Formats: sequence, C-alpha cells, structure tokens
Amino acid sequence: MKRGLIAAAALTAAAALAVSGCSSSKKSGGSSGNASTTLKLVAADYGTGPDNTSQKYWQGIADAFHTQNPTITVTVQTINWNDFDNQVQTMVQNHQFPDITEGDYFSNYAQEGLLYKASDVLTNASNLMPVFSKLGSYQGAQYGLPFTTSSRTLFYNKKLFQQAGISSAPQTWADVQADATKIKAQGKIGFGLPLGSEEAQAESLLWMLGNGGNYQDTSGTWTIDSSANVETFQFLKQLVQSGGTEPNPGNKNRTDLWKQFAQGQIGMINGSPALIPILQQGKVLGNTDWTSVPIAGKSGPIQSTLGVCDFVAAFKNGGTSKQAAIKKFLDFAYQDKYQIQFDKQYDLLPATTSAATSLQSDPIFGPFLKALPNAVQYPSSTAWAQVKTQIQHTIGTAVTGDPKQVLGAIQQTAKKGS
Amino acid sequence: MTEQIAPAPPGTRASLPRRESRARRVGRAATPLLWIGPAIALIGVVVLWPVVVMFRTSFQHISPDGFVLGSAGGKNYADLFHEPDLKGVLTRTVVWVVAVVAVTMLISLGLAQLFNERFPGRRVARWALIAPWAASVMMTSLVFRWALDANNGVINVFLHDVGLLKSFNSNQADWLGRPWSAFVWMMVVAVFVSLPFSTYALLAGLQTIPGELYEAARVDGASRWRIYRSITLPLLRPALLVSALINVINVFNSFPIIWEMTRGGPGFQTSTTTTFMFLLKQSYIGESAAMSVLNFGLVIVIVLVFLRATRWKQQVT
Repeated sequence: MKRGLIAAAALTAAAALAVSGCSSSKKSGGSSGNASTTLKLVAADYGTGPDNTSQKYWQGIADAFHTQNPTITVTVQTINWNDFDNQVQTMVQNHQFPDITEGDYFSNYAQEGLLYKASDVLTNASNLMPVFSKLGSYQGAQYGLPFTTSSRTLFYNKKLFQQAGISSAPQTWADVQADATKIKAQGKIGFGLPLGSEEAQAESLLWMLGNGGNYQDTSGTWTIDSSANVETFQFLKQLVQSGGTEPNPGNKNRTDLWKQFAQGQIGMINGSPALIPILQQGKVLGNTDWTSVPIAGKSGPIQSTLGVCDFVAAFKNGGTSKQAAIKKFLDFAYQDKYQIQFDKQYDLLPATTSAATSLQSDPIFGPFLKALPNAVQYPSSTAWAQVKTQIQHTIGTAVTGDPKQVLGAIQQTAKKGS
Repeated sequence: MTEQIAPAPPGTRASLPRRESRARRVGRAATPLLWIGPAIALIGVVVLWPVVVMFRTSFQHISPDGFVLGSAGGKNYADLFHEPDLKGVLTRTVVWVVAVVAVTMLISLGLAQLFNERFPGRRVARWALIAPWAASVMMTSLVFRWALDANNGVINVFLHDVGLLKSFNSNQADWLGRPWSAFVWMMVVAVFVSLPFSTYALLAGLQTIPGELYEAARVDGASRWRIYRSITLPLLRPALLVSALINVINVFNSFPIIWEMTRGGPGFQTSTTTTFMFLLKQSYIGESAAMSVLNFGLVIVIVLVFLRATRWKQQVT
C-alpha cells in the first residue's frame, strides 16, 4: 500500500510538473491599483545590425518612461522583419498575447475582438495621420495606430548608368528593359527584383501600379488576377528571362538586395528612404553616386506611389489597470521627439500630424512627406493577412511559371477569405 | 542446472498460501511503477497528449488567429488533398529521405571502416568527425547558405577561381535559386550532418566483431572483398539497421536545413512535408494539423515497412 501511495504521489508530482511547465507562461493578469504592472512590447527591428537595432530605441523610451512611472515596467522584444509576422501570429495563435506590438498590423485581430480601440489607448488619437488611420480601421472603428510611414521610389546607381552610357533616368518599362540590358553587359545586375517572402507584396504592387492595376479596385473587389496584373507579370517574366534582373527573383529578399545595391552590384531597385542609411553605411557609393526618382510604369512614371505604414496595436490582455498603463505608455511614446528620433535614425517618415508638420521643411523628408497623402495603400480587408502570406510565398513563381495561374490561385484565396 | 531443480527455499511464491501471495504480487507489481511512473507521466504529457490534440485539431475549424470556430468534419483533409502542391511535396519527401539515408549509410560504411584501422592521427580524426554533429544544424545550414551566395559565396569564389564558374550573379552561380540544385545542395547538407551519428554507430558495430573470425577467414584463404561481404556485413547488420532506421526518422522530420536555406521556396518547390506543414500553419491551422496527421501516419508506415522488410526481430534480438 505504502509503495503504491508513493508511486501515485510521484506520478501526480510528475504530471503537475509537466502541466505547470506548459502553462507557466500565463500571466497573473491585471492587478489592483498600486501593484506594479509589466507590459510586454513586441516590435519589428528596423536596424541593420547591433549598432542601430530598434531594441535600443524602444529600451530608451521604456527606461525614460519607467523613471517617470516607477510602477510600470515595459519589457521590450524586437524581432527582425523576416520573422516578425510569423512570430507574432504564433503568439496570437497560442493565445500568449503581447500587450503592444509595433510593426505589421492585421485587421483580423480587430475582427476577433483582440485589440483595444485607438481612442482607448491613446489620448490624442486625432493627431495620427488621417489617411493611415483609415487603413488601421475595421468597421468604422480605429484599432491600428500608425507609428511610422514611408513611400517608395526608384533608386538607381548613377555611376553604373554612366559606365553603361545611359544618360537619363528610366521612366517606362521599356527604359527599364533597355537599361537593365546595358548594365548587364557591364557584368552587374540590371534590376534588383525582390520577390522572395520578405516583402513580395510591396514589390508586386509597385509593378501592378505601373500598369494601372492593384490588388483591389476602388470598390474593394479583389482584382489580383486582372488582365492588367497578368500583363504586368508577363513583362516581369520576360525581364527575368532576358537576364535583366538577378537570377531567380522568387527567393531573393529586399534586405539582401538593398545591401547588394549598396555594394554597387545592382543598377536599379525600388526602395524606400530606409535604403539611404544602408547606402551610407556601405561606403561604396557616395551621396552623388545614386539618386531616386518616381517609379517607372508601363508608359510613364507612376503618379501615386505605395505608401507603407507600420502600426502599433494594443492587445486586450488584462484588466482596466493594464489598459490605463498601456495608454500612459503610448501617450509617452507618441511624443514628437520620439517620432522624430525614429525617423532620423531609420530615414522613415512620421505618422503623427504634429511630427510631420515639424519636418515639413526638412530637405530629405519634405518631398516624401508631400507625396504621402496621395499614396496608394495595401487593402484593409480582413482577408489581407492570408492573401499577403500567399503572395509572399508564391508570387515569385509567377516569373518562372504561368503568371495567370499563380495570380489566379491567390485571387481564389482572397475571394474565399472575404 | 541441478541446483535450480532443488526444492524452493521458504519465502518464494510456491511455498506460500494463495491469498497472501496475491497481495504481495500486487505490491511487487506496483514497485516498478515507482521508478517508471515519472517517465510514463512524462511520455503521456509530452508525447501522447500532443498526438491527441493534433488529431482533434485536424477536425476543427480554426481561425488563422487560433480561435476554434467549431467542427470542420473532414474539410481540412479535403482541402489538404486538393492542394495543388501536395503531390510534389510528397514526391520530394520520398526522394529526400531515400537519397539522404542511402548516401549517408554508404559513406558511413566507408568512414567507419577507415576509422577502425590503425593509422597515425586516428584519435584526432575521430574527434574531428564529431564537429558536424556538435554544431547546430541551423548554423551549418546558414554557413552553407552563405557559402553558396551567388554574389560572393566562398564555394562560388572557388569554382570561379578554378574556372568552372564563368560569372557571379549568374543563374549558374545561384545554386539555391534553382529548385533542383537547391534541393540537391540541401541533401548534401543533410548527409553532412547525418554522417557522424551513423559512422559512430557502425564503428561501434565493427568493434564488436571478434578478430578470430577474420583470422580464420584469412587462414582459409578468403579475399578481402569476400571477408567483407561474408563476415563484416552480416555481423554489422544490427548496427546498420538501427542507425538506418534512426536516420530515416531524423531525415524525414528534418526542418532547419530547408527552412534556413530556402524556406521551402520559391513557392513550395523545395518543401518537404515538414516545411509544408509549417508554411500552412501561418494561415490554415486545421489544414496544417491534417498535414501533421498525414506526416505522423507516414512516418509510422515507413518504420513498419522498414522493420518488416529487414526482418527486424530475427536480426536484432
């Protein structure tokens, strides 16, 4: 009997150990008034290495905030862009929600009722730029808080252009094709085309816009496999086959190609202001060796470029005391000085009207800021998260296989999801 | 022998009344539980429970954000079998397992034979073989990925220097961009990281073969090849089977190599079932669970077929 008892006890203990091991990550939840609160902030890393990692930026804010509010501690975790969506999605799937995220935002989180409304966690939500606030809205209420924005332009290497005997910037697809061929003859890559999983959805949209296409039409109907888009990818396929791009764009990522552009290996590439610090760090191209122009379209430069916005989202993860803590922290983090610090560090654009106003006359940011209000944005449908994942994984095969078939499969997913 | 036939000493089962013996027998039966209980509990919670959850999940309709929306019936399986990429993924998985394990075992046989011989520096060589095993597979994969970089990877630089590669950044230099060459390179990495274990298993097997057998064979005038075929291989069979089986399971489940080198792309053109399952999970949790169940079934079938084909019981026990 005794032995049996001990055995049973051992068994229970082992089971308890194992079970508690599984559930130890559950938080104790919002506690009463004076007790200290810990907020978990998960942010995408915009840095290119340990020197300028966003961890430092956020830690700086968290520390300054903690000195002012000793009862609230903010723990910071940054994830590189390649893994950000995947890891945040896994946290959500396992219901181990972070309190605050900064990076991509998906309206399906709002649809599931996981997020606080913007007005619940930020005192002055009307200071956020209206175009992007609209993008962070679901059924009329705003859940995504724009944090940083950027717009895209076409960068080209003036040195290589000169060597190849090209005198003017590419304006049309035909120019891109001709210039790429000439640069290839110099032994370099003509056009850097990142259709790998990191940000294929941006590159694809930039080309679609050049032919009057988009993922959705103005009424919100999916048009991924429209004839204009198929034609766009047929052009890209032919550009790839002619050797005008790097080989096999289907698994080449933006960050890697930007670095190669900075090394002087690539003639043309679509980029955002975030490419500028990489160019400066590379020390291969001087400031006069490259320039950026409006993105080439089928018959002329595109009128309104892609405006990308990264959002802050606050998860309902505790009681009202936690919500109050989040609000305090976000009010603190959204101060103009932190907005501008972020933009200066990564050459990105602000997302608040007040910060944008104070940067309006800046020689670097001014022109980009002017273009922002007209910029084209990604769809805000709840199906976008799934569609985006599929674009990232499969659209690269459109330039080796049959564009119509690949785009058609993505269109099916989009229609099923909405 | 005779001693065991002698009458049982007092206190053994046979000499005691029946009822008492039953109580004792229960006690005695429970004793091992004390020792193996924690292990059983651990297996139950860490192995069996997840299997149950996996099966359950595969029949549920789950939103991409992890909320259960009710039963899906067989829809996850139907969706899975309608995936246009599934056929290619399955074929690739078979090629992956068969090729990697076969090549690994062949090279390991040679290496084990070599390391069983006496030669100067044998100790160092044996230690060196541990390196691919000791290093994280993810690290090894990253090293290979950058070594194969189309612009300045060290392998391409070498090939360029010896004149085999005409120009960098070309399709030829982009080993990981072309699905087939990427797949072959990943198999090379998989063989590389599987070698140490199989070689050590076979080396241990070789060392159990008594020297007298070889001596006798040589006295009988057998050739080296004959000795290898008729003595070494048959006696090595248990070690060979165990290491091949463990390799099959390991290689089938191999994830980091493919994930770090190509992420299964472009599209799913370099995915095996393991990475395919992971890629599905991002948006389709139920379907991904169905893929897991299929994987689970596949690995069990592969193991059973393997055991059957090699007449495991007669050979190993």
